[in-house]
Amino acid sequence: MSAALSFVLHAALILHIALIALCVWRVWRGENVIDRLIGADLVGTLILGMLVIIAMIRGNALYIDVALGLAALGFVSTIALAKYVADGRMF
Amino acid sequence: MTTLLQAFAILAIITGAAFSTLGVLGYYRLPDVYTRLHATGKVSVFGVVLLVVAAAVLTPLGFGKGLVLIFMLVLGGPVASHAIASAAHTIGIPLARTTRDDLAVVQDAAPFDPGAGS
Repeated sequence: MSAALSFVLHAALILHIALIALCVWRVWRGENVIDRLIGADLVGTLILGMLVIIAMIRGNALYIDVALGLAALGFVSTIALAKYVADGRMF
Repeated sequence: MTTLLQAFAILAIITGAAFSTLGVLGYYRLPDVYTRLHATGKVSVFGVVLLVVAAAVLTPLGFGKGLVLIFMLVLGGPVASHAIASAAHTIGIPLARTTRDDLAVVQDAAPFDPGAGS
């Protein structure tokens, strides 16, 4: 791995950590429940990107599998929470 | 060849990180829930997908896993965004600086009944 690629990967990792910190702050001090739900979904998506960057840094495709599981679980949890907010019950 | 692939990967990573940054900035700065949802859709569909393209170029994972992940993101992102927006409109989150609300007209004319068709 060249030096430029390594630098770009680590810079992108630090950037994603900073973006996750911003989103967690917004989830904590949100305006309403939908705003916080969007923030939680966004944190899940950014952690997905972080896992892909870590897979590139380590050169290990195992992290892509973890990202696959996280994508499926995050999708289901977002749909379930949106339905709970809209209807007042989960099922 | 390796240098060319690495240059392509660097370009994809920078573009994806820029899309993620713009999405989070939009989540911070836009006025109401629906426009924020429009901004955060870009993070899942462009930001992460470009990172996965770079990973499929760089690491020996095969295109299969990357394609499955891209398929899942592109399929799941709009569905989740639509579910959140529908929930927001159902519990009555106000729209900022709007001129008219088409969905309110539809809901007043014919209230949605899930059990009507069966």
